Amino acid sequence: MMHDWFLLSLVLALLSLDISAVGQFMVARPIVVGPVIGMLTGHFELGLGMGALIELIWIGDVPVGAHLPLDLCVLSGVAVAFASELTTAKYPPEAAMTYAIGVAIPLAALSTQVEILLRKFHVRWVHFAQRMALNNHLKTFEWINLVVILELFLKGFLMAVLGLTLAHFSAGLFQMFPAKVIEGLYYAHWLLLALGCSAVIDLVVEKKNFLFLVLSVASILCLALIGQVQGIWLVTLVLMAGLIITLFFLGKGENA
Amino acid sequence: MTPEEKIPELPRLTFLDLASAFLRTLFLQAVWNFERYLSFGFALVLVPVLRRIYPREERGEALSRHMEYFNTHPFMASFILGAVIRMEEERQQLPKAKQKQKEEEISALKVGMMGPLAAIGDNFFWATLRPYCGLMAVVLVMSQAFQPKGYAWIIPVLFLLVFNATHLGIRLMGFLQGYRKGDQVVLAIRRYGLQEAIRGLKLATLLLLSVLIVFVNLADLEKGPSLFILRLIFFTAIVGLFTFALHRKISPSQMFYAVVLFALMLAFWPDLSASPVILSGHAPADGFIHPLAMLK
Repeated sequence: MMHDWFLLSLVLALLSLDISAVGQFMVARPIVVGPVIGMLTGHFELGLGMGALIELIWIGDVPVGAHLPLDLCVLSGVAVAFASELTTAKYPPEAAMTYAIGVAIPLAALSTQVEILLRKFHVRWVHFAQRMALNNHLKTFEWINLVVILELFLKGFLMAVLGLTLAHFSAGLFQMFPAKVIEGLYYAHWLLLALGCSAVIDLVVEKKNFLFLVLSVASILCLALIGQVQGIWLVTLVLMAGLIITLFFLGKGENA
Repeated sequence: MTPEEKIPELPRLTFLDLASAFLRTLFLQAVWNFERYLSFGFALVLVPVLRRIYPREERGEALSRHMEYFNTHPFMASFILGAVIRMEEERQQLPKAKQKQKEEEISALKVGMMGPLAAIGDNFFWATLRPYCGLMAVVLVMSQAFQPKGYAWIIPVLFLLVFNATHLGIRLMGFLQGYRKGDQVVLAIRRYGLQEAIRGLKLATLLLLSVLIVFVNLADLEKGPSLFILRLIFFTAIVGLFTFALHRKISPSQMFYAVVLFALMLAFWPDLSASPVILSGHAPADGFIHPLAMLK
């Protein structure tokens, strides 16, 4: 896997531009980065599963005000590439996934710190641009924008290279783990899904809609167990119900 | 107005100028910094506009006015940008004596609107729409509906489609509404019903969360209803504990390591790891292989 480090880093650097510099189309979110990197390493489903898990756990980490969230692009990219390397018939994939995410978190935190330093440095670009503006050099704005995008691309590339290299070197440690540790990492995967549910609750649930959550869990349990509505049909039903609720509120607002 | 005060008819903005300005809104946050936040991006969007409507010697000074502190939600900034472009155009049609007043109005509009738009944008896009789309994708992954048929790529594509249809729609409409309404744009924003959409989408997110909770535990149903109920109670207790910790401002990264540590403790605690509640994990009931068995 790691012989593809150049291609993987290039793709991660391109995707990481979407975090804030270009567009923000959400292609740098784990649910997209995971399957993309998984596809490149030949483990698409593993990438999709890990992307979903990372998306869920960090769902509430939002860029409000001056807060820069954890670099989830590096986190999911490095974690998926690393887990693809660790996945063998010998180990349960859940354990490899948990270990890979654990290794990738400090690298993602480092990437965020580098981003903060760069954002502090950008103040100089702004002062320079203002001086140039007063001299009527408007073209400078376009050049500075281009240079900064290249700078952020380079940062994304270097962070991905560093992440993939360090992760690769820690692969040996995983193979040395005793069986009990692997078992623990396996259990952690299920508990991480619970952590993901908590992240959603922490973000969305308030006192006034807590009862709605309880009632909806009860209704969906009834639908799944008594009505035998499961899988994609249950998801479709819930998506339709969500759409109707949203349209109802939108309609109410217009009338008011 | 005396004949001396009359100003020559200046060129109006063309469709291409507006299209160029709109495309530049995609780079609004490239030079985001801790001193003036979005000011550079804001000025960058205005470059093609000022090139068209200002004489060469006045462009720099006009652009410099827009380099002051500016921070709002990047998508909602389109409303302000459209309005500022219209007001800059109107400023150029005014006699010299009234231009200063218009500049102050432009500055006041930016200062007055950036806070409320940041609040509503953060709440709608970051705290509501993105979690909804993300959770929708997660639930689709957990449903295992697309994976066996090889259509799993639909899930991230669907996530991008739902988010960006709304994101680009509001960005484009905001820009056009801002340009049409000028300083009256604040009245137009209400019509989008973002506050109502937030209320509706939050409930829709809770419905998806309920499905996720059921999916995570449903695999144990085949082992018997008592185990299923036990697992559900255990899961609910764990979720409650984690929610409390997150509510106490413990970051998800710290929580991740705490959870792994907790799981390792379970593994090394023979009585607990032997318990069927923990032991079954979330693997499918019929295909479950204990990790220790896999290692042998």
